Amino acid sequence: MTQPLLEVSDLHIDFSVDKRSVNAVRGLNMTIYPGQTVAIVGESGSGKSTTAHAIIDLLPGTGKVTQGSIRYEGTDLVKLPARKRRGYRGSHIGLVPQDPLSNLNPLYKVGAQIREVLEVNNVAKGKAADARVVELLEEAGLPDAKRRAQQYPHEFSGGMRQRALIAAGLAARPKLLIADEPTSALDVTVQKQILDHLDDLTSELGVAVLLITHDLGLAAERADHLVVMYKGEVVESGPALAILQDPQHPYSKRLINAAPSLQSERVSAQERTAIRRAAQEHVSEETEVDVETPAMQIQSLTKVFKLPGKGFSKTDLIAAQQVSFDLARGTTTALVGESGSGKSTVARMVLGLETPTEGHVYFDGVDISTITSRDQQLKFRRRIQPVFQNPYASLDPMFSIYEAIEEPLVVHQVGSKTEREERVRTLLDQVSLPHTVMNRYPNELSGGQRQRVAIARALALNPEVLVLDEAVSALDVLVQDQILQLLNDLQVELGLSYLFITHDLAVVRQIADDVLVMQGGRVVEQADANSIFNNPQEPYTQKLLAAIPGRDIPLAG
Amino acid sequence: MWRYIVRRLLQTIPVILGATLLIYALVFLQPGDPIVALFGEKPVSEAARAQLEAQYNLDKPFIVQWLLFLKGALVGDFGTSYSGQPVSDLIARSLPVTFQLAFMAMIIEAILGVVAGFYAGLRRGHIFDSTMLVVSLVVIAIPIFVLGFALQLIFGVQLQWVPPTVGSATTFTNLLLPAVVLGLVSFAYVLRLTRTSVIENLTADHVRTARAHGVPDGVVNRRHVLRNSLIPVVTFLGADLGALMAGAVVTEGIFNINGIGNLAYQAILRGENPTVVSVVTIMVLIYVVASLLVDLLYAALDPRIRYA
Amino acid sequence: MHNHTPQPGQERFVAPAIDTELPTAVDVDTSHPPESQWKQAWKSLRSNWIFWFSAILLLLVLVVVCFPTLFTSVDPRSADLSNSLGKPQPGHIFGFDRQGYDVFARTIHGARASVIIGLLTTLIVTIVGLLTGAIAGFFGGWVDTIISRAADIFFAIPLLLAAIVGLSALNNVWPNRGYWGGVSAVVIALAVFGWPQITRIARGAVMEIKNLEFVDAARSLGASKWRNLFTHIIPNALPPVIVTATVSLGVYIVAEATLSFLGIGLPPSVVSWGNDIAAAQPQVRSGDNLHVLFFPAGALAMTVLSFMLLGDAVRDALDPKARK
Repeated sequence: MTQPLLEVSDLHIDFSVDKRSVNAVRGLNMTIYPGQTVAIVGESGSGKSTTAHAIIDLLPGTGKVTQGSIRYEGTDLVKLPARKRRGYRGSHIGLVPQDPLSNLNPLYKVGAQIREVLEVNNVAKGKAADARVVELLEEAGLPDAKRRAQQYPHEFSGGMRQRALIAAGLAARPKLLIADEPTSALDVTVQKQILDHLDDLTSELGVAVLLITHDLGLAAERADHLVVMYKGEVVESGPALAILQDPQHPYSKRLINAAPSLQSERVSAQERTAIRRAAQEHVSEETEVDVETPAMQIQSLTKVFKLPGKGFSKTDLIAAQQVSFDLARGTTTALVGESGSGKSTVARMVLGLETPTEGHVYFDGVDISTITSRDQQLKFRRRIQPVFQNPYASLDPMFSIYEAIEEPLVVHQVGSKTEREERVRTLLDQVSLPHTVMNRYPNELSGGQRQRVAIARALALNPEVLVLDEAVSALDVLVQDQILQLLNDLQVELGLSYLFITHDLAVVRQIADDVLVMQGGRVVEQADANSIFNNPQEPYTQKLLAAIPGRDIPLAG
Repeated sequence: MWRYIVRRLLQTIPVILGATLLIYALVFLQPGDPIVALFGEKPVSEAARAQLEAQYNLDKPFIVQWLLFLKGALVGDFGTSYSGQPVSDLIARSLPVTFQLAFMAMIIEAILGVVAGFYAGLRRGHIFDSTMLVVSLVVIAIPIFVLGFALQLIFGVQLQWVPPTVGSATTFTNLLLPAVVLGLVSFAYVLRLTRTSVIENLTADHVRTARAHGVPDGVVNRRHVLRNSLIPVVTFLGADLGALMAGAVVTEGIFNINGIGNLAYQAILRGENPTVVSVVTIMVLIYVVASLLVDLLYAALDPRIRYA
Repeated sequence: MHNHTPQPGQERFVAPAIDTELPTAVDVDTSHPPESQWKQAWKSLRSNWIFWFSAILLLLVLVVVCFPTLFTSVDPRSADLSNSLGKPQPGHIFGFDRQGYDVFARTIHGARASVIIGLLTTLIVTIVGLLTGAIAGFFGGWVDTIISRAADIFFAIPLLLAAIVGLSALNNVWPNRGYWGGVSAVVIALAVFGWPQITRIARGAVMEIKNLEFVDAARSLGASKWRNLFTHIIPNALPPVIVTATVSLGVYIVAEATLSFLGIGLPPSVVSWGNDIAAAQPQVRSGDNLHVLFFPAGALAMTVLSFMLLGDAVRDALDPKARK
């Protein structure tokens, strides 16, 4: 019988906020065996990262372990004096942090930062350390490691930085590696590469991994044992596959149902067809426009940004090149791509926020670049509205919810004060928010609620087209699912057309009829959603699909 | 890099032109007869007046006067003061003294401010931190001439550790007290800036990650927290050189030092216009050069900044 | 993925469902009244003793500024040479200066000039700086170039020196300017060279805010540029400007005193802390008669200190990041 490497029992963690103490984690139990991968899964605020920080004694601010034990190879770390505990960091328990952009010191060369880990843990010194740094970077899968070690973090891409952080985390050969959302800031294809590599590396070295993630699919794919946390407590734990196929706790059930990566195969194509049909029916019955003519026609849109180059010249950055598509009424067209694919630039040009270098955007047959008068401008504006990604930045923090939703009506001088108030109430009903939010401010609402407010504001002027720029990407899985649900309902109810911009192919299945896959400013594949998912033609599309975590896990039912 | 320096130098040209024109206008575009300022109420012969007007370019339009001044300044000729001395001589005599004073002040404020701010930031909320915060506020709140005077009284008059006034003996020890006085206010700002910056950096992700990798606290604090916190401080110090030169007006007055601040002050009081514009031009130049150096130093300290 | 029998400690565990309330989409915490950012800032200010300490002191100063006669009935301009440099005594608790003025009365009446100069200068500088900075940051391009270069020009001349030159120029065109004339002259000299500081801060803040999504959202719904600037961008750019303005209020008061000390600020006829400190200087060279210097200098320092503390407290309240 092997002994557990890490045994956490009855762990309680408190933070004191305004002199009151708040439980962040309550009664957590967890066991990790040598060489095993254990995942803690939870939404934001579940206490998963707090648990990880408690294990390495780096709780932020006022955080304190108030009860319970963390036994590493039988020694209770909680009872050790701080000085002794420090000895466990790096050499026994390593960390791969979440955000590769902020976790390397921008002022030092990457090699020097890994070398520092080697030196403080007495692994290697001097020339030997330098040589070891290169080996470690190579081991972490960084090509051209010798040259790269001499570069600064800002010269690295996100994926390369995360490889460097993996190298640093494993430099002193810990027996346990805590990987705190190691890839959530990276593109899906990079995410897959890095996780595959981390898997190989840790099993080769026999390192146990504690994976902290919000992504159930990813956890199930990578871990032997799952711990599902919700609001500071473990709601369910056990073998990964067992939980995934047969969730017992209502929360785990909901989480699995909502996870787009897991359910996308199950949302039937018929369901989507039904939504589209109902929406188009609404258009042809309730409005005067012809449902057969597209709401928008995008013709060979190209955007070139001028960047300062060598000497006094400028270099061109081609953000989007020859992008063409039609947006049919009552349907959703998804633009899918990784960072730098140009999808958001296209969205901004469609919204008229950015002028195309070449090409045209036709709205209802009219080229929007020919709209010059303020009157015409306003008319165009009320027919197409955006919902942006970041629920924290998309509402003016100084405006109350009422003022935010009312603003479009004020700008377009719609109705009297009382009529406008009535309209705001109706809009809140439409996005299922209680009227009590009207006098609240954005910082008092959750991310999902803010996004509902943003949708209500976008709907205020009865637009025909919504441009949803990563509108659900920053949300937790359950909330994301609710918002997608809401968008589908609104489409049926109002006959809306959506342009849906996302990096996440998994959510596309739930909402899109047509899909454009973009890479490096170009459209690489353009087809209806079914063809993209069932019969992808381009290698890049296939790669994107393969990178959706947990896609191959057989689900019961 | 060179391209950046060239562009940056080109950018400073309108600033220098604008600032000198501004001062020139303030000084020369005033009613009243500068010849009267020269001779007082004594009658001046027409011939002498014409000759003086020609000598000081007073007979020419204002803009031409300014351009002629710039032309001279380009080759280091700032004209002649009304008392007949070449202004460049006056500046050459006083500028090194002020440079020495400002340099000493800057070293003092930088070292003390950074060290005190660093420890205050690390021990946030503790006695040392609170004390330093109060000290820094008091130093900013009490006018520098009161502080200078108090220190002069204590160390110069009562304890007699240093001479109360400096005069022409501008040795290191004699300038020490004036330098402390000159640097005091900036010391308070450096302290506060360093402290804020340290507190911010202490919670940086990469600092926590370094700790997670087993780097001991002392090393983390020095290598990661302090080093990263120095960047805004360096920026401040560069911009502060101009403030120190101006502050010299007061400090040099209190301690009777014949530096450029005193020169400027006396010239303004006496209506010595050529000297005033020349000294201010020098100060603007110093400010401009200092901010250029800071930008370059910034690039040296922060590898993310690459001037293309 | 391995599918083996769980090891000890890894058996299947399911928490009782009743223990955890599941989230609903639209729960809104109505346990407390709605709070705008300003209200939250005020709440955090309210619980900060530094704020109350400085606020009470400043309130006292303001009362002194508005109603000096509540505190002293002695005329600050009536001198009796026989009292020259008299020590503090009952009825004249701060003693007398060289001219035989009552130092307490002078200190009380001197508050007005200092505080008004500080307030007025800050007000002008803040309005000018906020507008120029906001316009430069918002419109960019050549507008930005012109404003920024202009700010650079005024910033390149050290404030104190520039104010000295400016005031000596004003002396020539506007001699014998009396109380309010004297005060205005100092305000003008300081404001003309002080605005670039606020311009730079406002410009930076606006450039950051104009790229946020809510500004794009407002543009998309057809809000005009000016509406965007004045209803969305400037209000959000205010916090850093307010903080800088509060702190610089103290700095301008010190600057006035320094200018008066140099004999070029307020005319000697104006009762002000700066003038009194300047006049006291020669009397205390030997270390005697310190009361002549101490009281006006102390009053000035307390006032400036209060503004500085207020600025600190306001910054902590407006920028929760700085608090943590």
